[in-house]
Amino acid sequence: MDIALLGNPNTGKTSMFNNLTGSYEYVGNWSGVTVEKKVGLLKKGTASLIDLPGVYSLNPLSKDEGVVTNFLLHDSFDRMLNIIDASQLERNLHLTIQLLEFGRPLIIALNMVDVASKRGIEIDVDRLASQLGTKVVPVIARSGRGCDELAEFVTTIESPSISSFTVSYGEEMDGAIERLARMLEGKVHHSVRWLTLQLLEGNHYVKAYLQSFIGREELETFILDTSKAILSNYEEKTIDHFIYHKRQEAIGELLRNSTYTEEENKQPLSEKIDAVITNKWLGLPIFFVIMYFLFMLTFDWLGFPLSDILDGIISGPITGGLEGFLSFIGASSFIHALVLDGIVAGVGGVLVFVPQIFILFFFISLLEDSGYMARVALVMDRLMEHVGLNGKAFIPMMIGFGCNVPGVMAARTIETPRERMLTVLLTPLMSCSARLPVYALFVGAFFVSHKALIVLSLYILGIVVALILAKVFSTTILKGETSFFVIELPPYRIPQGKALWKSTWEKGKGFVKKAGTFIFAGSVLIWLLSYAGPQGLNVEMDDSFLAMIGGVFAPLLAPLGFGTWQAGASLLTGFLAKEAIISTMNIIYFVPDEASLQGLLINSFSPVAAYSFMVFILLYIPCLATVATIKKETGSYKWTCFSMGYALLIAYLLSFLIYQFGTLLGF
Amino acid sequence: MLAGLRIGKRAKIIDTSGADRLVRRRLLDLGITEGSEVCIKCKMPFGGPFMLESCGQCVGIRRREAQTIKVEEL
Ligand SMILES: Nc1nc2c(ncn2[C@@H]2O[C@H](COP(=O)(O)OP(=O)(O)O)[C@@H](O)[C@H]2O)c(=O)[nH]1
Ligand SMILES: [Mg+2]
Repeated sequence: MDIALLGNPNTGKTSMFNNLTGSYEYVGNWSGVTVEKKVGLLKKGTASLIDLPGVYSLNPLSKDEGVVTNFLLHDSFDRMLNIIDASQLERNLHLTIQLLEFGRPLIIALNMVDVASKRGIEIDVDRLASQLGTKVVPVIARSGRGCDELAEFVTTIESPSISSFTVSYGEEMDGAIERLARMLEGKVHHSVRWLTLQLLEGNHYVKAYLQSFIGREELETFILDTSKAILSNYEEKTIDHFIYHKRQEAIGELLRNSTYTEEENKQPLSEKIDAVITNKWLGLPIFFVIMYFLFMLTFDWLGFPLSDILDGIISGPITGGLEGFLSFIGASSFIHALVLDGIVAGVGGVLVFVPQIFILFFFISLLEDSGYMARVALVMDRLMEHVGLNGKAFIPMMIGFGCNVPGVMAARTIETPRERMLTVLLTPLMSCSARLPVYALFVGAFFVSHKALIVLSLYILGIVVALILAKVFSTTILKGETSFFVIELPPYRIPQGKALWKSTWEKGKGFVKKAGTFIFAGSVLIWLLSYAGPQGLNVEMDDSFLAMIGGVFAPLLAPLGFGTWQAGASLLTGFLAKEAIISTMNIIYFVPDEASLQGLLINSFSPVAAYSFMVFILLYIPCLATVATIKKETGSYKWTCFSMGYALLIAYLLSFLIYQFGTLLGF
Repeated sequence: MLAGLRIGKRAKIIDTSGADRLVRRRLLDLGITEGSEVCIKCKMPFGGPFMLESCGQCVGIRRREAQTIKVEEL
């Protein structure tokens, strides 16, 4: 049995999904966290639950909302579980009505009853249920209260009856529904009532669907006739407003009978916090202070010391233990070298940075779950508007600091195609966590007294380049008038320890997993390439295959300050995954730990060349996984190639300028 | 006009037909339309967006859009 989870954004669908399935999906306190459908098995294992993006209505504006309409039109499922936010019933019931019109079995989970009661809203659940003609189960998805009963109910009831609740849209509409039914001649299995209403509301997905049964012109005439008939009889400007108001009336009636709101003048805590956080003058400074703290904790105060400890453990006891073990079993010198110089150097070199990456992900999760993300969008909108984007585009970019892949996907919530494309193209310029190890290594070697400052400059450079390019692209290749910004600012919620940890782990897990698989295999391969050469095995590294491959790029990179085959080879592997750069360097420079690698690097890079190298790494190309995501999101090879091409060009240009001017100035 | 409303004052929306079609649709999704009571919570500097409150929920919209929405102070 397949159950679809539907509801407004930010009503707790994903929390519910996690609770019911025992699996873990990404929860956040901003609209648009879930942008793709996700399937999970219910704990009891009898049914699968499908988590869908949040929508306010079935008539989509943005692409993530389209996922839901498409799902209803084309996928098969058995029943719908509609999550509604008890503290925002009026708005939530608009979707419920549309789902009821869809005419499939529906069960309602009344979520956030804790929030509602705090706001003085009392809901007579039984009255609401009997009026809607569906089962309504009050729950608190966050704590799991009521979720078991809900699961029990959703799966055990044989076939929930289809509700007989209807909104009356007047006889003109009833006539129109009959007319469409005749035109369709029973060729569709969806409710004609629902199709008619969605079509008249201007739902493009439904229109396209109907056009596969009815001629375009016939359909247009139908829409025109109906609109005329209705608008001439009622005082409404447009047909969608007419439908909206009819629903609004019905909801008003429903709520009058089943809810009671205690009038209170207490200002909610959320608004008090907002009075400071989004204060006219404090908003931006507070954002920068938060980012500064995030940054210093990751790189300076907490992250570096932890990484150093881990480095000590890996290069000390672990390497020593492995060495002893290999000698004990009498492994050949080849195996010795492969394990210690290849795998330990390659994988260990990446694992050292796990603490810093987890700290970063922890803070990103914290920002997401608290509700601050949407405020950032508000605070940044003015700046973003200047470069042809809107504040919402800043959210994918912030997510991109963790990893560019979910960042690019988060761009789906941006309504206008032009701004969405821009965001997809520019998010890879955000310095993701996989680039962090490279910076950490280089600042440790070259800029010991200004570590955090230098890394901060790279993060800021990424943002500045993105903003400048946004301006350039939006006035040249991605021109267009429409810019659009309306954002829901959800109430602040205190993040829960467990959810926060899970969220951090889910994001960071990928990094650890990649180290164990991709980086592991890559390290073996790179080591082999460095071990073998045209003259045979165990050659001098400079005569290895790796040196030959890297050497091809060396002359091209010389004007940037790092024209060595080592740099060329690392950059090549960096396209596969940014952290592979570190693995490659560890193997090439043939050292047991980070400290001695840094010692060696000083000999092959000048400080300005090191900075130029970091800038190049920051910008030069989205990693393979990001490229695949860009292809999927844009659906175009042209734009995917463009995203790689412009990055390479900008990186080359900037690194060139930095190195040439830097050397000229005598650094 | 909504843009002229002072911070903290409540007003009722009387006409949204001047606003951009997409903005109107999104506000409608959020339950903000003719007849809704709104209150401006804050205005971002340098011509930045506004934060509105309506029925206990907060929404951010641009100043330009707020200039096209007719309201009546309560
Ligand atoms: N107080 C309270 N918060 C909740 C409840 N359910 C979910 N939340 C919070 O609401 C936010 C949005 O949840 P999420 O599951 O991502 O919603 P979705 O956008 O509908 O998938 C998160 O911060 C949750 O922790 C609830 O019943 N009570
Ligand atoms: Mg979700």
